[in-house]
Amino acid sequence: MLNIKNLKVNIDNKEILKGLDLKINPGEIHVLMGQNGTGKSTLVKTLSAHYDCEVIEGDITYKNKNLLDLDVNERANEGIFMSFQNPVEVPGVNNSYFLRTAINEKRKYNNQEELDTMEFLKLSKKELGRFDIDKKLMQRDLNDGFSGGEKKRNELMQLLLLKPELIMLDEIDSGLDVDAIKTVAEVVNDLLAQDKSRSLLMITHYDRLLSLIKPDFVHVLKDGKIVKTGDYNLALELDSKGYEGIGINDEIN
Amino acid sequence: MKLIDLKNIKFPTKKDEEFRKIDLSSLFEYSFKDKKDYIIDLNLVQKDKVSSKNNELYKINQDLDSKNYELNIKEDTKEPIVIVHVLAEDDIINTNTLNIKVEKNVKASVIEVFLSSCKNTFYSVNRVFEVEESANLNYFKYQDIKQSNSLIINAIIDLKNNATIEHNSYEIGDGFNLSIYETSLDNVESSLNINGLVRLYKEAHSSSIFNTLHNNKSSFSSINYKHSLHDHSKAVFEAKSIVNENGNFSKVRQNSKTILLSDDATIFAKPHLEISIDELEASHGATVGSLNREQLLYLRSRGIEESKAYEMLLKAFENEIYDNIKDQKIKEFITNFKRSDYV
Repeated sequence: MLNIKNLKVNIDNKEILKGLDLKINPGEIHVLMGQNGTGKSTLVKTLSAHYDCEVIEGDITYKNKNLLDLDVNERANEGIFMSFQNPVEVPGVNNSYFLRTAINEKRKYNNQEELDTMEFLKLSKKELGRFDIDKKLMQRDLNDGFSGGEKKRNELMQLLLLKPELIMLDEIDSGLDVDAIKTVAEVVNDLLAQDKSRSLLMITHYDRLLSLIKPDFVHVLKDGKIVKTGDYNLALELDSKGYEGIGINDEIN
Repeated sequence: MKLIDLKNIKFPTKKDEEFRKIDLSSLFEYSFKDKKDYIIDLNLVQKDKVSSKNNELYKINQDLDSKNYELNIKEDTKEPIVIVHVLAEDDIINTNTLNIKVEKNVKASVIEVFLSSCKNTFYSVNRVFEVEESANLNYFKYQDIKQSNSLIINAIIDLKNNATIEHNSYEIGDGFNLSIYETSLDNVESSLNINGLVRLYKEAHSSSIFNTLHNNKSSFSSINYKHSLHDHSKAVFEAKSIVNENGNFSKVRQNSKTILLSDDATIFAKPHLEISIDELEASHGATVGSLNREQLLYLRSRGIEESKAYEMLLKAFENEIYDNIKDQKIKEFITNFKRSDYV
């Protein structure tokens, strides 16, 4: 599904990713771990074409297409979804209208008929009704005045309705209580179960979410490269021993 | 005939502080073929002429013998009174003078629409808004005057004790537009709320000048404008609010927000307060920027194409003015309005 080779990315003319390689096959769950500033968020931001990230070198192939040829909205419509660490507030844009527009843009991209208001309401009721997500968020303006938890729930609503093929979660568990983390896991596991070819790339610092969404691969980043890869046991080891304990110190070369 | 040839008028020039950024010389020098008093199709009574102390342009209509009519609203309006002005003849000076009077305790809604389907025509409009004690006037102006035409509206606002005016404007024409508001809040607990959207394209020029005097206690004034400026358009926002020693416990607000959507679009925003007392609430500000890049990215990251995301954000910026309109019937009018129904 996704193949990244020798990726070098600058932010503000500073090299953050320094030759990163990563391959994600359909149906796999990958986790990125690493200390602050090692390039985890830069990688997912690069994959979703964030304007901060300047690709200097390397190749990214996604579903046999050169991802770097696609702009932000094309990548989204090809099935890439990044949940933002701190989603921006957009006063004046109604959340329900935003979601319907996003769904219809994707349907248009895939030559499907657009949903009218009633069809959208029916779909959202069906998809969101199965989880502990307050539907009143739909009536408010997009992320406007939302608490940290509400913003994360709103990202989950988008996930459920847009049904991406590659889900990228950037610290979606930060600042969430135990019940909210459980809802995140329920939504993600449900999406992965619905479509076995759906993949997940997740950034987290904590084991709590990983105990609920079991990863196939855990990657540790240091200084813009993956320096260690393992399975769920690597996350457990990291949780008990810390980075130094598994031979990764915080010295940046 | 040329406006500049009118006697007794000291026409403002760029040397006058308020008109430094407004070039009226080509309008004053233009040779029009005739003048005409625009007739409003309502049952109006003729009234004595009103004069302005501070606005020389108010005298244009007087010098051109424009008849002064009065729309006297004596009971609550169930539906807004709609006045549509359509300028249809080239090279004409049109004039129109109207007092809109709302009687004591009455709640009224009035909509005025200014449209054009001609060239090189000038429309000089004088308005007096007279709102009696405890009365409330919801007024909406929709201006869509097309290129090469000019509209000047001179407004005098007179609010009695506990009277309120909610004055809302959409300035969207690509012609030349100047509105001058003169308000003296001489009575207690009077409330002036001016709310405007200026959306300009091409070579459009729209200027709004507000002179407000708080001359009695517990009076309120709020002037809130949003500008979205495309192409080579230009907008001017000049608000001067004075609170004198009689104006204790007044509340004064001025706010101009602008999004520049082209390198060639220009805004000149000058909010200005002059305060002689301590017991009051006052705020003023002006911001200028472009559309928020982070918001644009967020919408696009969910698959919304750039032009659509751009349009959604611009609408969100402009919608605050629509949301501020308190009269539901006026909102309905805006939603259903089609220029093609009139021109």
